[in-house]
Amino acid sequence: MKAFLRKITGNHEVTLGIILVVLFIVVDILSGFKFHGLENIGDIFKNNALTLIMSLGMLCVLITGGIDISITGTLAFAGMTIGLLQKYNIIHNTLLLFVIAVAIGGACGLINGLIIAKGKVSPIICTLGAMYIYRGLAYVISNNQWASGEDVTSFSKFGNSAGPYIILALAFVIYFVVMKWTPFGRKVYAIGSNREAARISGINVDRVEIAVYTLMGVLAGLAGALSVSIYGSAQPNMQTGKEMDVIAACVIGGVAMSGGRGTVVGTLLGGIFYAVVYKALPLVGLEAIWQNLIKGVIILGVVIINVLTQRAMNRQALARREI
Amino acid sequence: MKRIISLILVAVMAVALLASCGETTTTTGAKYALVTKAAGNAYNEKEAEGFKAAMEAAGLTSSDYIIRHPEQATVEAQIAVINSLISQGVKSIAIAANDPNALSSVLADAKAKGIKILTLDSDVAPADRLTFCNQAGVQQVAQALIDAVLDLTGGEGDYAILSATSQATNQNAWIDAMKAIAAADSAKYGKLNLVEVAYGDDEPQKSTDQTQALLQKYPDLKVICAPTTVGVAAAAKVLQDKKSTVKLTGLGLPSEMAEYIGNDADHSCPYMFLWNPIDLGKLAAYASIALVDGKITGAVGDKFEAGNMENSPYTLTAVEGTNASEIILGAPFKFDPSNIGEWKSVY
Amino acid sequence: MAGKSGRTISAVPQKSILKRLLSWEGALVLIFIAVLVMGRIMSPYFTLENVLREMPKYLAEILIVFPMGFVLIMGEIDISVGSIVCLSATVACFAGNAGLPFPLVMLICLLTGLACGLLNGFILTRWPELPPMIVTLGTQIIFRGIAEVTLGSGGSLSYVNSKDLGILSKTLGPFPVAFFAVLIAAAIFIVVLSTSTFGRKLYAIGSNRTAAKYAGIKVSKIRLIVYGLAGLMAGMCALFILTTTFGANTTTGQNYEMDVIAMCVFGGIATTGGKGNLFGALIAGFSIVCLRIALGLINTNPQLILIIIGLLLIISVLISGISQMRGKKLKKKKA
Repeated sequence: MKAFLRKITGNHEVTLGIILVVLFIVVDILSGFKFHGLENIGDIFKNNALTLIMSLGMLCVLITGGIDISITGTLAFAGMTIGLLQKYNIIHNTLLLFVIAVAIGGACGLINGLIIAKGKVSPIICTLGAMYIYRGLAYVISNNQWASGEDVTSFSKFGNSAGPYIILALAFVIYFVVMKWTPFGRKVYAIGSNREAARISGINVDRVEIAVYTLMGVLAGLAGALSVSIYGSAQPNMQTGKEMDVIAACVIGGVAMSGGRGTVVGTLLGGIFYAVVYKALPLVGLEAIWQNLIKGVIILGVVIINVLTQRAMNRQALARREI
Repeated sequence: MKRIISLILVAVMAVALLASCGETTTTTGAKYALVTKAAGNAYNEKEAEGFKAAMEAAGLTSSDYIIRHPEQATVEAQIAVINSLISQGVKSIAIAANDPNALSSVLADAKAKGIKILTLDSDVAPADRLTFCNQAGVQQVAQALIDAVLDLTGGEGDYAILSATSQATNQNAWIDAMKAIAAADSAKYGKLNLVEVAYGDDEPQKSTDQTQALLQKYPDLKVICAPTTVGVAAAAKVLQDKKSTVKLTGLGLPSEMAEYIGNDADHSCPYMFLWNPIDLGKLAAYASIALVDGKITGAVGDKFEAGNMENSPYTLTAVEGTNASEIILGAPFKFDPSNIGEWKSVY
Repeated sequence: MAGKSGRTISAVPQKSILKRLLSWEGALVLIFIAVLVMGRIMSPYFTLENVLREMPKYLAEILIVFPMGFVLIMGEIDISVGSIVCLSATVACFAGNAGLPFPLVMLICLLTGLACGLLNGFILTRWPELPPMIVTLGTQIIFRGIAEVTLGSGGSLSYVNSKDLGILSKTLGPFPVAFFAVLIAAAIFIVVLSTSTFGRKLYAIGSNRTAAKYAGIKVSKIRLIVYGLAGLMAGMCALFILTTTFGANTTTGQNYEMDVIAMCVFGGIATTGGKGNLFGALIAGFSIVCLRIALGLINTNPQLILIIIGLLLIISVLISGISQMRGKKLKKKKA
């Protein structure tokens, strides 16, 4: 029993998993058992596919000790571009549109990566500036127009198919494998744990860093395409402020903002946690104006619980060493 | 270091160049200004288009008017814009207010400088403006919406409302009026049951979440009424994708909603309403000109010509229960499968 | 860590006037002048009178630049200040509308801000492992959430006795009261940062927290004070915002944190901590504000303004970063 208790308090992912299950059951009861349906669970993943996908990129960025707050700007720029390409009947090929969005996202990310790695600009400043720029570009190209409804008919069919789920699953599987079993994954962790040591041991820190930010951009571009596809519309202000959701999802999932620590599974759980909260708040019959307040309290609460489990973990490790 | 400073100066100059070749209009002598709710919004852009068209129809050129979209849909962004317009010495400001109270201070400053203030789309307190270009009377909108709900439910059953933010003045006024109408005539509307007013904050994602939540919470739901352009489109997509039997009505832009309007099971929205935002912009433009020329003062009973607009000349009428004036554009227009094809390319 | 150490613990380096002119602050002054000249060339309406009339809203924002500078110099961040502005303004409106005398309302507004800031500080010092960005993200949502709940549906509340606010919106000569508030706050914060032991401790914490702790600095106490100050100044900002909006609503103060951080960074304060000073931030703040006003006067697309600010931010940091690298290389060669 004691060993079991130690195990659950000692492992971040397990703790979060338990919190998640409890939360799920509570919400299910509060909502009159309407929460556990397959359709609802599908909606949870689909409506938060953007946050979930971008949280993977953010995971890598945070592990290297960086941060990227320009992602929703990138998302809007890429999404708006492909929205307009459809609105003005230039391209209607779904695959091609996805490629374009991903390419735009990749380019935005590459620029961030170059400025951060080669220009030695701190990540938050670079991406703060980039956030203004990419979001601004989305507005400028949109010229106060939306792309929606009929413009994106064929494209939004993809969003209504199994497509988003497949992309989501693929992304997580790929990241899980890459972060756990490839040299690239190990390099990312190495840089986050100790940058100087990583450099001395022969890792090309700049190159890895550029790759990490480029991948972040690629995922943000992908999320932009998914957003247009799932919601059937592109607006220049789409997902404003959601970068904080992505970062919060990672941190809830146990990723350390100081770098070096974090897992794909944890990120997935953190993302799902966030998604469940989002989905649950309107369902459990809370008055609309209370929803933000509750959301804030939950985020803060979970983050504090994280710290407490981490402390417990450290204490146990220490105790074991003493024995 | 010198190199750095020279670099900076080059950067500043580049910025200046960028700024000057950006979307700027020459400002000297501009008389009439329009301030919309925010940039990046198709509905607001249509108002701006109408304003521009009317100005040009009245023989004015682009140097005579200024159209400003604030950077965010907040009252503070609007205050900055109005201050800037006061500095430029415009003669009139037509504004779609993001808050009914908070512009009071800056509008008083503008008034003190002799600027004629009028509102369109969303009003401020009557003391702060001369008149209000009302897209459609609150009662008319509410009546149209509640009747649509009555029709689509078949006379009885559950319906829900999906609004913008819980603070949106227009939406709240319409919803309150809908409730009042339903309460006043219980013989007709007594069997309708409003289960919930949900708020999608005019974000596609949140509106989607809220619509799905409504469907899950109320299995007997028959109709969703969404009196907001972003919300109605998001809800339409959810219902259509899920092939739900729940029907939708509300206020939406035809260009955004064409995909979803139809009478069969494949379409989620049999019909919806809106006024013509282009005409609303035009009306604001003609009213601005009339105010600046002194043809009207904003008093109830004033009349002015509005170019080739449908109901010209317009008369200023009293806002119900007060002696403040408003100009009503007309009744809300119904979009159904028979006319959507024609309107979707207009706005 | 390597990049951070080795600088700034001796807070006021002795510099010749020439060196000062050639420093980043000197460049900022030049940029500021360039903005003014540019504004004057671009628009005939860019006059002192107009600029000062448009300024109070922005001046209120600049008030938060100073404590944010403290926070950044410690190597931390506070993104809840915009929400604190919102909550303080809301509370002040309720207090004023309940008929309390105006000085008391002012006090309540400031205290609300202070309380919010101290709450941030308390959470962060009670659990020092927590990243400031996430904690203040949480409280950002919470503070605005409380304001939303208290404002209720409608989401907007006007300050009934708006005449009371007249004292704060008066002008002395051509200058609004807010202008003097900024100057006084600037003087106090700059003096504290550059001459007091408190200021030196901030740099020490930002340069190397562990070393600072071992040197006997009470890091927790200082962090609590700094976050409290950020809240207090946000409360003061709320007071001046009230004079321009005559009320509070749920979007009051939205995105202020990003504007303020941009001003600090443009002013040469590194978000990694231990570097920068408030004089630079002050000039940077005024430069950005004047640029915004100037571009507004020629009716520039607002998003273009954001792009320009973004570019300025990255270019300025890039240039100072490159110059530092060059400096290091030179040092290496000499060695």
